[in-house]
Amino acid sequence: MKRHWQKIITLTLAIAMILSLAACGGSTATTAAPAATTTAAAAGGGETSAAAAGFDWKQQDGSKLRVMFNQHPYAEAIIQKIPDFTALTGIEVEYSLTPEENYFDKVTTALNSKSGDPDIFMTGAYQVWEYAPAGYVEDLSTYINDAGKTSPDYDFADFYPGIVGSLQWDLVAGHKTGSGPQWALPLGFEMYSLAYNKTVFADLGLTPPKTMEELKALLPKLKEFNGPGSYALAIRGSRNWATIHPGYMTTYASYGAQDFVVEGNKLVSKVNSPEAVAMTDEWVQMIKDGGAPSWSSYTWYQAGADLGAGKAAMLYDADCNGYFQNVEGASQEAGNIAWIPAPLPEGKSDIYSNMWTWAIAMNSSSKNKDAAWLFMQYFTSKEYTQWASVNAKVVDPARKSVFESADFQAVLDKAEGFAATFDAQIANTGIQFTPQPHFFETTTEWAATLQDIVGGKYKSTQEAMDALKKKMDDIVSDVEVG
Amino acid sequence: MAKTKPVVAEVTQENSLYNKKPWLTRARPYLIIAPSLLITIGILVPFVSAIFYSLTNYSFRSPNWKFIGLDNWFNALTSPEYWHAIWVTIQYAAATTISEMLLGLGIAILLSRETRFTKILRVVLIFPLMIAPVIATLIWQLMTNNSVGIIEKFLNLFNIYNFTWSSSPKTALFTAALIDFWVYAPFVIVLILAGIQSLPKSPFEASRIDGGSAWFTFKNLTLPMLKPFLYIALIFRLMAAMQEFAIIFALTKGGPGDTLMNLSVTAYNTGFAFMKFGKSLPYILTLWLIINIISKRLVANWQKVMKQASGNS
Amino acid sequence: MFSENQSLLSRLIQNLLLIIYSIFALFPLFWMALITFKSDLQMFNTTFFFTPTLENYKAVLIGTDYIKTFIDNVIVSGGAVLVSVLAGVPAAYALARFNFKYKEDLAFTILSFKFAPEILVILPLFMIYQKLHLYDTYLGLIWVYQLITMPLLIWVVRGYFEDISVEVEQAAELDGYPWYSVFWKILLPLIKPGLVASALLAFIFAWNSFTFSLQLSGFNIQTVTVASLRYIASDTVHYGQMAVAATIAALPEVILALLIQKHLVRGLSFGAVKG
Repeated sequence: MKRHWQKIITLTLAIAMILSLAACGGSTATTAAPAATTTAAAAGGGETSAAAAGFDWKQQDGSKLRVMFNQHPYAEAIIQKIPDFTALTGIEVEYSLTPEENYFDKVTTALNSKSGDPDIFMTGAYQVWEYAPAGYVEDLSTYINDAGKTSPDYDFADFYPGIVGSLQWDLVAGHKTGSGPQWALPLGFEMYSLAYNKTVFADLGLTPPKTMEELKALLPKLKEFNGPGSYALAIRGSRNWATIHPGYMTTYASYGAQDFVVEGNKLVSKVNSPEAVAMTDEWVQMIKDGGAPSWSSYTWYQAGADLGAGKAAMLYDADCNGYFQNVEGASQEAGNIAWIPAPLPEGKSDIYSNMWTWAIAMNSSSKNKDAAWLFMQYFTSKEYTQWASVNAKVVDPARKSVFESADFQAVLDKAEGFAATFDAQIANTGIQFTPQPHFFETTTEWAATLQDIVGGKYKSTQEAMDALKKKMDDIVSDVEVG
Repeated sequence: MAKTKPVVAEVTQENSLYNKKPWLTRARPYLIIAPSLLITIGILVPFVSAIFYSLTNYSFRSPNWKFIGLDNWFNALTSPEYWHAIWVTIQYAAATTISEMLLGLGIAILLSRETRFTKILRVVLIFPLMIAPVIATLIWQLMTNNSVGIIEKFLNLFNIYNFTWSSSPKTALFTAALIDFWVYAPFVIVLILAGIQSLPKSPFEASRIDGGSAWFTFKNLTLPMLKPFLYIALIFRLMAAMQEFAIIFALTKGGPGDTLMNLSVTAYNTGFAFMKFGKSLPYILTLWLIINIISKRLVANWQKVMKQASGNS
Repeated sequence: MFSENQSLLSRLIQNLLLIIYSIFALFPLFWMALITFKSDLQMFNTTFFFTPTLENYKAVLIGTDYIKTFIDNVIVSGGAVLVSVLAGVPAAYALARFNFKYKEDLAFTILSFKFAPEILVILPLFMIYQKLHLYDTYLGLIWVYQLITMPLLIWVVRGYFEDISVEVEQAAELDGYPWYSVFWKILLPLIKPGLVASALLAFIFAWNSFTFSLQLSGFNIQTVTVASLRYIASDTVHYGQMAVAATIAALPEVILALLIQKHLVRGLSFGAVKG
C-alpha cells in the first residue's frame, strides 16, 4: 500500500514538473535571448541631423547587424535605445545577452571561427590584448577620420584621452596603451577610489583618510562599528584577475611599482621590486587588520553589497560599485555613501588609478562593417551617452561634455564627493598594466599569491613576491617584444 | 563481483547455425561484447596520446611544439607545486574517506533498527547523494555566505561571526570535506546498511544468550562479517576522493592560494587555464598511477575477503 | 543486532543522533527550495517568514536559457544511457552466460573505466575532439559519458542475468524458441525492473557529471552543472535565482531516486552488494 502511494506521489510530481516546464515555454538555442523583448521606448535620446556633406545616417539602410552583449547595465541601456537606432538608420539589430562568466569564452570562439558573426561585440581593455594581435578586431581609426562615414557631431576629442587611449595599442607586447590603432570605443568606464559610509564616520567623529597611513590608523577604530560581524574595509580577494586590477593595482602604480619591464626582447616581471614588496606588505596588513574575514572569496558584488548593507564602513573599489549601492532604494545604506580619492602612499602626491572600460569593438570578419560603424558611433555619441548617463545608470561616462553637463552633475549631487573625486583622479587615470597576451594567467597567479600571503604560507612578502616573479616570468617566456 | 560460479549456457539447438560453424560459437561472446568495448576503449585512446604529449611542450597557444623528452617530468618532480598537489590529494582523500567510513558506519548501525522512523529515514537520506556535487557546493556556499547565509545567521546566535569556511587556509579543507561528506556519506550508509540487513541472525542471538557485551558483539561479529561491504564502500570512496575535481573547482578553484590544489585541479589549471598541455600531464599521469596501484591492491584484498566470507557463511 | 530490551535512554539518544543527521542531510535541500520563493529585497533581513514570490522562477526560466540547458542535460544523459543499454545489455549477457578467455579481464577493464580520473580523459580528449569536430556536440558528450554509464550498466545487469537460472533459458530453447526470442521474450522481462533501475541510476550519475561537460562542451551545449557555476561566480546578488537553478537541477534526480528505491544498493555498488 505504501509503495502504491510512493508511486502515485512521484508520478504526480513528475507530471507537475513537466507541465510547468512546458508552460514556461522553451527558448531556442539561437543567439537571440528571450529576455531581450522588453523595450522601454523612452524618448529623449536625440538624433543627429545628417547635414554634412557625404554623411547620412540612412546610408546603410536595410542592413542587418548582430551584436553580442555582456549582461551589464551598459548593455541594458543600449538595448532600450535600439528601436530609436533602427528608426534613424533603417538597420535591423539582433543581439544576445550572456552572463559575464561565460561571455568571453563565447566571444573568443565566435571570433575564432571568422564567420563574421557577431558584427559587434562588447569587450574590455585587457581582452583587446588577446584579440587584436590575433587579427580579430577591426581598426576603427580609418572610420573615425572618414568624414563620409562619421557624423560631423561625433567629436572624438570629447572623449577623456586616458579612457579612449586605453583602447589604443600598437600590438607590441611591453608597449603601453595610448597610441596605435583604435581597437574599440568606450561605452563607459570605472576608476578606483574610496567610498565610505559618511553617517558612520560622522557618528564616530572620524575624518575620511587621505593617505595609506591615515587609513591604517582608522582600521581598529572601525572594527565592529555596526555590531559584531561588521568590519572596516571591503575589498576584492577572489582567486582571479578581478582582485588585482581595481584597488590593488591603483595603489601599486601609485607606489611607483611596475608589473613588467622590457629587457632586451623579453618581458621581465618586477613584482619583487622594493616598491612592489612594500606596497604588497601594506596591502596584506590592511586586509588582516581591517578586511573581511572571508576576504579571499570576495567579488565585486560581495564587496559592494557589504558596504550597502552596513557591514563594511569603507569600500576601496570601482567608483560605480558604491554608486549603484547608493541609488535610492538599492540598499540599506543608500544615501549614506560618500567618495574621496584613493589613499595616497607615503610621500606621494598623485593617485594613478587603474581603470576598466566596457567598450564595443568590430569583428574584422564582419560583412557589414559600414553598418556596424553606424551602430558604434551612435551608441558612443554625445546624445546617447548623455541620455544613458542621466537616465540609465551609465557611470562613469567616457565623454567630458557629458560628465560636466548640468543634468549629469545634478544626478551626481546625490553622491557626495563623487564628482570631486572624479575630477581629482581623472588626469592620471589609465591602464596601469603592461599589455601582454597572458594577462589573465599572470594576474590569476598574482591573486593566488596574495591569498597565500594573507593565509600565512610564506615567511615574508619578499619571499612570496620572488616566487611570483618566477612564475610570471615563466608564463610570459614565449612573448617576443618588439 | 560475480556470484561464486558463473552459470554457463550451452547451445542446445540441433540445427542451429552455431553447430555448423563451431568457430562462431567461440566468437559469439566476443561479438556480443564488441560494441560496448569499442565504445569505451575508443574513449581511452586519449590515454595513450597523453603519455605521448607529456613528452612534448605542446601548448594550445602556440602552433609549434617539439619533443622535449622528460623535461616536463623533470620540471614537475622538482617543483614544489607537484609535491604540494600530491600532499593535498592525500589530505583530501584521507579526510573525506575516513569521516565517511566511520560516521557512515555509525549511522548505518543506528538505521538498522527496525522502527517506523528509521524506515522512513532510509528512503529520504539518499537524497544528498542524488544531488550533483557542483550543485551541492552551490547550496552550501549560499548557506554559509557571511552576509545572507542561514548557517551564518545560526552561528550568530552563538556569537560566532564571519566564519571563514572556504576563505581561509585553515578551514578550507574542512569545508570541502564537509560538502563531500554531505553528498557521499549516504553512499556508505546505504551500502553498509544493506550489509547489516543481510547478516544472519543466529550468531547474534547466540552471542546475546552467551552474555556478550555490545562492544564484544560489534568487534568480533559485526565488523568481520561486514568486511566485504566495508571494502566496497572504501574502494569506491577512496578512488573517487583522490581525484575529486568538481567540488574543489566549484568551491574555490583550488584556493585560497593553493590550499586545495590537488592533482586534478592543478592539472586542469595548467592544462586548460594556462594552456600548457604538456606540462599538465605529469600531474594527471601521477594521479592515474597512484589510483591504479591502490585500487589494484584494494580489489585484490577485497577478493580475498570475499572468499573468506563465502567460506564462512 | 539490537536487543529488544534497550533502555529508554539509549533509544532516545539513538533517535536524537539520527535526527541530527537527518537535519544535516535534509535541511539544505529544504532551505534551498525555500529561498527560491524569496525576493532579493527580502533576502538579507528575513529568515523563514517572508512573502513568497515567483519572480525568481520567472527570471531564470524565462529570462535566461536555463530551460535549454535543462533539455541539453536530458538529451545528453538520456542519450548516453540509451547507448549504454543497447551496447551494454548484450555485453552483460555475454559476461553472465558464457565462459570465454579473458572474460574476467575484460570485465575488470570495463570496471576500471569508472575509476579512471576524469581529468585524465578530458585533457587529451579535448584536443582529439577538436580535430574530429566532436567538440561541443551531443554525440561527443554522449560518447564520453559512456565512461560513466557503461560500466555501471554492464556490471549491474550482469548480476541480474546471473540471478536467473539457466534452466529457464534451456526450457525455452527446448520448446523451440530461437535464441533471440529467448532473449527478448523471456530474459528481458525478467530483468526489466533491475534494468530500468540501473538505467535510471546511470541517468542520475550522467546528469550530475561536471568535469566532462565543463571542458568538452562550451556554449552550444551546456549542462546544468556547468551552467550553475555561472551563478556561483558571477557578480550578482540574485541568490534566489541561484537557488532556482539549483532546485531545478536537483529535482529530477530526487524524484528518480524515489522510483528506484528497491534496486538502489545493487546499482550503487555495481552489483557487488545485493540490496
